[in-house]
Amino acid sequence: MNEAVMNELAEPIMKKSSGPETEESLNIEYGETVGQPFCEQAKIKTKNVNVFYADNQAIHDISLDIGSHEVIALIGPSGCGKSTYLRTLNRMNDTIDICRVEGQILLDDEDIYHKKQDPVLLRARVGMVFQKPNPFPKSIYDNVAYGPRIHGLTRNKAELDDLVEASLTKAGLFDEVKDRLHAPGTGLSGGQQQRLCIARTIAVQPEVILMDEPASALDPIATAKIEELINELKENFTIVIVTHSMQQAARVSQRTAYFHMGRLIEVGDTDQIFTNPAHELTEKYITGRFG
Amino acid sequence: MNNTDLVKKSLQKRYLKERIFKTMGFVSIATAILFLLILLTDIIGKALPAFSQTNIELQVELSEEQLGINANSSEDDIRNADYRKVIREALLGLFPDVTKRKEKRELYSLTSMGAEFQLRDTVIENPEFLGTTQTINFLADDDVAGVVKGNIDRNLPESDRRVKNQKLGWIETLEANGQINTTFNWQFFSSGDSREPEMAGIKGAILGSFFTLLVTLALSFPIAVAAAIYLEEFAPKNRFIDFIEININNLAAVPSIVFGLLGLAVFINFFSMPRSAPVVGGIVLSLMTLPTIIIASRSAIKAVPPSLREAALGLGASKMQTVFHHVLPAALPGILTGTIIGMAQALGETAPLLMIGMVAFIVDIPQSVVDPSTVLPIQVFLWADSPERGFLEKTSAAIMVLLFFLIAMNAIAIYLRKKFEKKW
Repeated sequence: MNEAVMNELAEPIMKKSSGPETEESLNIEYGETVGQPFCEQAKIKTKNVNVFYADNQAIHDISLDIGSHEVIALIGPSGCGKSTYLRTLNRMNDTIDICRVEGQILLDDEDIYHKKQDPVLLRARVGMVFQKPNPFPKSIYDNVAYGPRIHGLTRNKAELDDLVEASLTKAGLFDEVKDRLHAPGTGLSGGQQQRLCIARTIAVQPEVILMDEPASALDPIATAKIEELINELKENFTIVIVTHSMQQAARVSQRTAYFHMGRLIEVGDTDQIFTNPAHELTEKYITGRFG
Repeated sequence: MNNTDLVKKSLQKRYLKERIFKTMGFVSIATAILFLLILLTDIIGKALPAFSQTNIELQVELSEEQLGINANSSEDDIRNADYRKVIREALLGLFPDVTKRKEKRELYSLTSMGAEFQLRDTVIENPEFLGTTQTINFLADDDVAGVVKGNIDRNLPESDRRVKNQKLGWIETLEANGQINTTFNWQFFSSGDSREPEMAGIKGAILGSFFTLLVTLALSFPIAVAAAIYLEEFAPKNRFIDFIEININNLAAVPSIVFGLLGLAVFINFFSMPRSAPVVGGIVLSLMTLPTIIIASRSAIKAVPPSLREAALGLGASKMQTVFHHVLPAALPGILTGTIIGMAQALGETAPLLMIGMVAFIVDIPQSVVDPSTVLPIQVFLWADSPERGFLEKTSAAIMVLLFFLIAMNAIAIYLRKKFEKKW
C-alpha cells in the first residue's frame, strides 16, 4: 500500500513537472504567501510545515489557518502538494514510511504531531473522503455503522440504527437506499458510493472533514449533489476540500488557497481569488495559462 | 508503391507468423492432453481389477465337536477355535482324491490366509451357526484371483506359469460349479496394509494422510498467515526483513528430503518424538508448506486495494482493525487457495516422510496422530515395490485414490476462490 500511495502522491514532484511553463521560464520568486493565511477563529493552525518524501521536499514552509465551520478549497496544478498537505492534517501520511513532516500543526491548539497524540483518535476527529469512492465490500448499513462500532459510539442496536439513518439522511442518501440497507455498498452508483463514503465519515461525528477531490470521478449530476451536500455540511463541520475544478472551488468554498510547486502562493476569500488575484501565478492558473 | 501497398505486403508476413504461433500453441496443448490421457487410461485400466474381489463359495460344517466349542463357550474359546481345519475339511470334501501332503498344501492355498479369520468373525457375529452347515463366501488367494481376472494366462506352458496345472484344474472345476464369484472390493477401503495382496487395503494410508495433513494444516495455516500479515502490513522496511523475505523464497525451493533429515535429527532424535507418527510427519510437512502459504498469502494481501486500507484508517480504525476487519477478509480467497494448494502438495509428498520412518509396514489402522502409520504416496511406493502380481493393481488403485483426493482439494480451492471473490 505504502509504495502505491507514495508513487501516486510523489511522482509528479519527483519528475519536477509543473505544466507547460516551468519555474525558470516564469522567473518568479516565491517569497511570502500573499493574502490572508491566518484567521481569528482557527480550527486548525499549520505553521511552517515542510513535508519530505525521503530526500524530495514535497511541501515548502506552509503556514495556513483553517477557520472553524468554513469550507476552504485547496487548488493548484497537479503535483503541487495540495493532497500531501491535506493528508498531513489527519496524519494519513504516517502510513508512508519515507514521509517526514516538519513544522507545527495544531488542532484546537493541540499539536497533532506530538508524541502523545494518538493518530487513531485524531482520525476520529478529522475524517476523510477520498478521490475514488471506496466503500467497504459490506452492506450499506455496515459501511456507515463501521466507524461508530469500532469507536463504541452507541450503546445499543436502536441507537446505532438511528445514527446510521441520521448519517445517511445528512448525506442525502437515505431516501435512495432505505429499502436496501443490507445490500452491498459496492453495488451503488459512483455518486451514491461517494455519498455513502461521506455518510460513513460523518457517522463518526468528526469536527473536520478532509475531502480529496471528492467529485473528480463523478458525472456532473452526481457532482452537483456532492457540492450541494458540502454546502449543507458546513453548518456542522469544518471542511477542507482539494479540487481540480475551479468552478467547484468557487461554488462551495468561502476561502481558497492556491498551491504551486509545494508552496502556498496565495490565500484569500474565494471571490477575491477568482476575480482579483494578487499573485501573478494565481492569475495565470485561474485564467488557464497552465495547470 | 504507396503506404497501403507496403502495409499490405507486410501484413501477409505478420499473419503467417501469427498462424504459426497459434499452431504451435495448439500442438503443445494437444500433446499435453494426449500424455495425460495415456497416463490416466493406463492407471485406471490397471487399477480397475483392484476394485473387484474374487471369492470362493464353500460349504463349511460348523460342528461343535470339530471346533471344540458350543454356544456357551467363552468368547476367548470361540476366538481361539481351529477354524482353519474346518475350511480345509471343506476343500478336501470338494476334491477327495487329493491325498499327498504337498498336494494338500497346494489345495489349502486356494483360499486366502485371511479366510479363517473371516470365518471366525462370522461365527462370533452369528453364534447360532454353530452346529449347522453354512455356505460362506471366502476370500480367494491372489493366485486364484489372478487366474480368474486373467492376470495369469491359462494358455502359457506350465513351466512358465505361476499356477500349476493341478491347481488350475481345481480352479476350473470350482468355476464350472459356480463356486467362484466376484464382488465389489469393500475391503480395499476398510482394511490396512497386508503382506497378502488380496487382503491389503488403503484405509490405514488414507487415515495416516488425513492425520498428517490435519497436523500440517493446524500448524502451517495460522503461522503462515500471521507471518504474511506481519511481513506485508507491519514489518519495517529494513535489511533484516529483506533477508527474511529472501530466505522464505529460498525455503520454498529446498529439496523436500532435506526437511525429512531435519525432522529426523530434530524431532525424533532430539525431542524423542514417536517414529512413523503422523504428528512428526505433519510438523515436517508444515515446515515445507509454510513458504508456499506465506508467499501466496502475501501476494493476496498485496492485491487488496490500498483504498480499502485508507478508508478504514481514515475512519479511525487502528492498524490491527484495518487488517483484521478489511484486509484479511478481502485477501481470504487468495490465502485459502494458496493453503489448499500447499496442502495438496503436502498430500503428495513422499521423500521427507521416508526419513522419519513412515515407510514402515504397518497393518493397524491409526487411531490418532501419534499412532504409527503411513500415507498414501508411501503406500503407493510400498506396493509398487512388492513382488506379488496382485500388488500391481493395488498400486494403480492407490494412485487413483491419491489423485482423487488431489483433484478434490483443487476443486475445493477453485470453489472457495469463486465464492469469496469480491468485486471492487
